[in-house]
Amino acid sequence: MRHFLKSRKCRMISSVMYPVLFGVIIFVLWETQILHSIMNTSTDVLPVPSKIASVIGENITKLMGNLWITTVPTLIGLAVGSALGYAVAVIASIFTKWGGGGITLVSCFNAVPIVALAPIFNNLCKHVSTDIGTRGMAAKALVVMMLCMASMSINAFRGLTELPPFSTDMMKSYASSKRVTFVKLRLPNSVPYIFTALRVSVPISVISALVSEYFIDTREGSATFCPGLGRMIRDTILKCQYSAAWSYIAIACLLGITLFVVLMIFESVMLKNRQKQ
Amino acid sequence: MKKKNAKKVLALMTAALMASASFVGCSGDTSSSASSDASTSAESKTAKLMAAAEGAVGNWGLGNEYEIQALLRKYGYDTSYISQAFDMDGFDTDEILLASAMTYNELGLVKNSYDGGYNYGDTVSVIDMNEEGVAMLEDMLFCTKDFAEKNPETVKAFVYASMKGWAYACANTKEAAEICYKYGSSVSPDHQAYMADESAKLVSTDMSGNTVDSSAYGSIDKNAVQQTLDLCKKYMVLDDSTAADKLKNMTTEDVYNDTFIKDVIELLNSNETPSFKPEKKEVSIQLKWLPDAQFMGYYVALDKGYYKEVGLDVKDSDIVPGGGDVGETTAVSNGTVDFGVTWVSNLISANASGMDLVEVAQVFQRSGLVLVYKNEWAASNGVD
Repeated sequence: MRHFLKSRKCRMISSVMYPVLFGVIIFVLWETQILHSIMNTSTDVLPVPSKIASVIGENITKLMGNLWITTVPTLIGLAVGSALGYAVAVIASIFTKWGGGGITLVSCFNAVPIVALAPIFNNLCKHVSTDIGTRGMAAKALVVMMLCMASMSINAFRGLTELPPFSTDMMKSYASSKRVTFVKLRLPNSVPYIFTALRVSVPISVISALVSEYFIDTREGSATFCPGLGRMIRDTILKCQYSAAWSYIAIACLLGITLFVVLMIFESVMLKNRQKQ
Repeated sequence: MKKKNAKKVLALMTAALMASASFVGCSGDTSSSASSDASTSAESKTAKLMAAAEGAVGNWGLGNEYEIQALLRKYGYDTSYISQAFDMDGFDTDEILLASAMTYNELGLVKNSYDGGYNYGDTVSVIDMNEEGVAMLEDMLFCTKDFAEKNPETVKAFVYASMKGWAYACANTKEAAEICYKYGSSVSPDHQAYMADESAKLVSTDMSGNTVDSSAYGSIDKNAVQQTLDLCKKYMVLDDSTAADKLKNMTTEDVYNDTFIKDVIELLNSNETPSFKPEKKEVSIQLKWLPDAQFMGYYVALDKGYYKEVGLDVKDSDIVPGGGDVGETTAVSNGTVDFGVTWVSNLISANASGMDLVEVAQVFQRSGLVLVYKNEWAASNGVD
């Protein structure tokens, strides 16, 4: 028994079981409206899960349309922002003297609230395209990019500069060039740090895309045009359509969780060898 | 080993691509479905303007869009519009050619030169929703049905004092503007004075342009509520089918209760000092927007002690300002405040989704929403 409790299998089970159990308890309390009496709220404002599920079922096409409008700028912003962030970190690691200070400056972007960034990029993108949808996508992607760039550059810079002790001395003793040191030592050393950055960036990218939609130009009011998940959440809440609002919130959560799971799988594949060492 | 990893990554990426590709089919296509009931044959001035501004009509959305959608549909266009910010920069830069404006707020900012104004003066004109027959009732006083049933005297006293405040404010707009400014204004004193004048016009004129006698302020016109409800049924899109069904079967009885305002009007005209026995003395009211002369009646009633006269305890902090993201219907429904000011359409959508709210007095008798345009632009499109 003691052996079993210490075994890897047991740890795996408990690490999955506890969150699932917690989720099930919340779900049951929510569905049976006990949660409502604890929170002192009504089903008008917090619809039960079965109600939310039925609204999702009724509007699946519309929800998917809005999901697409939010997902595209999220992924573009995440990819471009992370790539730029890494590039900034590489440049900073080459010119270490002022690089560290530069990275600190970039990290300031992380502190600027989305609500302040979104209107700025909205105005910036006014002339990008005559199509208001494209314009909005560009503005959203820029907001996401800005925030992802900051977290990537900070982490990647650490990965490129905080090397194992004496490793640079060793490379020197091999008389390796700066380029070789970079490719063989710094670059591999930064890989886990990239994933640390992405673990922060992925949720931030979804949230910033959702919130920036509040402030970004769009075309709305037609049954066939999708202004995005964030916009729809705000719109439906202000119209007291809470069951509809929660259906958009559920889809937004799903987007965030899916992206995170994809990242986790990616990470476990990429870092597999490293863990074995 | 390395090759194997690369293969895995490739497989993952293809899977992700396939998943995203399946969404493409659902992306927003803008195929417009021009309706049949539109009177496109009537080559009116508005029709010409709407044609010239196709795709550049702005509105704030969030429940303020139904009149604009009704107008778009009337002239045969798709009901979509450009999201408009709470300033008029989009109009200023010609990005929005027909911009939504409230006569008592944004229109003043467009026309006037004072702080925050765009100084267009008489070089702009408007399309009036009332004249177009697509007007909906806006600012009104409401509470929950439950509250009205349990506290009828409180409701009557509150409506009495509030309408007395509105009557005084409409007769003395300058003073009312100063009072509003005193209680924490969001705008300059000049704009406050403008807002007071324009708000008074909405209280004292009905949808057909007839003057409402000061003794009938706040009365609820069943036909106007019916028109509002009909337009809601046509243009309100509710994703929840239960709510959509409820809206379909809604009648004006589900929207308002005019017994309170009828009694109040009688009392106000009888010249005797009424005595109320309010069941709940401490009451509060949630405004739809920032504190300004759009709500001058309540501030005047507070300042002149009308609430105290009827036995109610309303403090400065009991008049709660709203803003872009405050849901006044939710605040009243969950009991955070007792009364609220909202548009009739907002109450209808709240009730459709399961809330139990009731209108008790119609403060603005006509729609204050207009579409503003530049005369120069209109002339260049053949409209004088």
